[in-house]
Amino acid sequence: MKPIITTHDLTKKFGDFAAVDRINLEIMKGEVFGFLGPNGAGKSTTIRMLVTLTSPTEGTAVVDGFDVRTHADEVRRRIGLVAEKLILYPRLTAVENLMFFGELYGMSRAELRPRIDELLRMVHLENFKDMATGGYSSGMRQRLNIIRGLVHDPDILFLDEPTALLDPQSVRFVRDLVKELNANGKTIILTTHIMEEADELSNTVGIIDHGKMVAVDETAFLKSQYKCDTLEEVFLELTGRTLRDSASGRVPMRMTMGRV
Amino acid sequence: MRPSLSHSIYVTFRIAQKDLLDFWKAKMLVGTFMLMPILMMSMFGSMFPSTTGTSNPYRNAPMAMVMEDDGSLAIQVADQFKDISASTGLFKVRDFPSFKSARDEILTGSIKGVVLIPEGFADAFNSHRQATVLITVDDTNAQMASIIYGEAASIVGAISDNFGRSIITKMGISSDPSFVTEPIGVQRENLIGSTTNSFQFLAPGFMGLTVVMGTLSGLASAISREKEQGTMDGIMVAPISRNTIVAGKMIAQTVRGMIQAFMILGLSMLLFGVKIYGSPLLMVGVLLLGVASFAGIGLIMTSIAPEQETAQMMMLLLQFPMMFLSGILFPMDQLPGWLQWVGKALPLYYAADALRKVIVLSANFNQIFMDVAVLALYSVTTLGIAIPVFRKAMTR
Repeated sequence: MKPIITTHDLTKKFGDFAAVDRINLEIMKGEVFGFLGPNGAGKSTTIRMLVTLTSPTEGTAVVDGFDVRTHADEVRRRIGLVAEKLILYPRLTAVENLMFFGELYGMSRAELRPRIDELLRMVHLENFKDMATGGYSSGMRQRLNIIRGLVHDPDILFLDEPTALLDPQSVRFVRDLVKELNANGKTIILTTHIMEEADELSNTVGIIDHGKMVAVDETAFLKSQYKCDTLEEVFLELTGRTLRDSASGRVPMRMTMGRV
Repeated sequence: MRPSLSHSIYVTFRIAQKDLLDFWKAKMLVGTFMLMPILMMSMFGSMFPSTTGTSNPYRNAPMAMVMEDDGSLAIQVADQFKDISASTGLFKVRDFPSFKSARDEILTGSIKGVVLIPEGFADAFNSHRQATVLITVDDTNAQMASIIYGEAASIVGAISDNFGRSIITKMGISSDPSFVTEPIGVQRENLIGSTTNSFQFLAPGFMGLTVVMGTLSGLASAISREKEQGTMDGIMVAPISRNTIVAGKMIAQTVRGMIQAFMILGLSMLLFGVKIYGSPLLMVGVLLLGVASFAGIGLIMTSIAPEQETAQMMMLLLQFPMMFLSGILFPMDQLPGWLQWVGKALPLYYAADALRKVIVLSANFNQIFMDVAVLALYSVTTLGIAIPVFRKAMTR
């Protein structure tokens, strides 16, 4: 396998505070990479740099051969973003939402119609395609949110907390969908706080804390290296048990905007 | 590979169309949006009444007539006053036994003024001295008092003129009686060849104000809301130029502002007799330039505001003084000198001035060139600053 995402000393500073501090990553093509870390550790800032929503202060990030800083549009064509905050207009229908975002990627309406039908069938929303998404249940919204990130058929999919606040049935559906997408060749970068989810879905996990990568390896290897039965134990071993956003902990300057 | 120009143009309009569709689907919002110009026009139409338009609220105003002199001449003057009032529809005149009783009625608000024919009125007239009619009006509303007094005095003036003419005729003077009673006459010639209508002054300003306010607050909420709800990230990760996002949002807000502006114009024409004397095309051009001059300011504010609520408060902070300082509600000359300078530093002054000149005075492009030049300068400068600020704010 060859790397599809590479970062070299990737850094993001807000004033003097380094939210991401010289991280070096290699994410392989076709893998599910679990990107883990406590709240405010730098996960979201890293993801935002990789998806071109934030410019790095120092270092480089290359996505599918293109530098995020110098070739942002090329990177954007190759990635799909499924953010924790739903990227959906609640007053528009599923089709109107998907059509709008698809057209931003230069797809024609003729191309989009069959693609949208196919995606809606994939997540069992074909019967609700003309309903305003504000009336959807949480599970339906999240399924639509995922296919919105897939509408232009990207090679790389960033999934941020895809199962947060979902019922067990929806959680199972989303996890199976992630596996299916990966089996169909998509590289997936998954951020989650649910360690069993990361364990189940990821080939490799990277754990970030205080803006620095503290571990990057296959889940099985990490468990044996730290003599832990579960990924959660590995995570706590590496990042400690202290609450990060309590009075005794350090609260990062920009742990805002609902980012993980 | 950069996005092609045709794709960028398409995406710009697609973003505008999406914003308008999203807006259209919010039925209660659309209802409020439509109600705003209607409410604004009804409110300001009543606050700033025209004295000649069909909407004059002081027509058939209740007036008291008090006769302290019961001579036949006094009765003749009183009857003529009542006749003219009735035929012109200016006043509904009722007789009161004393000035005190009429004055008490003014205090209850049931009459607007008193015409008093004092004792000795006929004696003065018969002794060839000037006889005087006293007019008292409700002074609690200065604007209304001035209108009522003016109308009542003009009726008395007309009666006096008639008496003067008959006296001159009886004297056997061969000259035109007008030459003796009023050797120098005055006639008002309106610049716009029609009656003066205070709404004609207000309507263009309101249009400018509505478009600008709509664009400012619309842009603030359109961008901040998308930032806050997360959909802006979905747009920002697409391979499109940031300028297309700004342009798309601006088009959507401009369309909304224009709809309200035309509603105001339509209502002004329909209800208050406002006419467009100049080129409608030039009027639309000025409105668009007004939007462009404010879009930059709106964009800077919405970019630096951390959330929608702050952005909207910032817009209000700008809109509120602008309403009073841009010569829209009050002529600029009524403001103290330093406030006039503040008003003239705001682009709305130039947009309202140009609109008024086009709509009321039928001005052509050359005659509003200075206003247009200032608005264009504002647009280029503020958008020049705003676009990089917006891009930076979106990728920080």
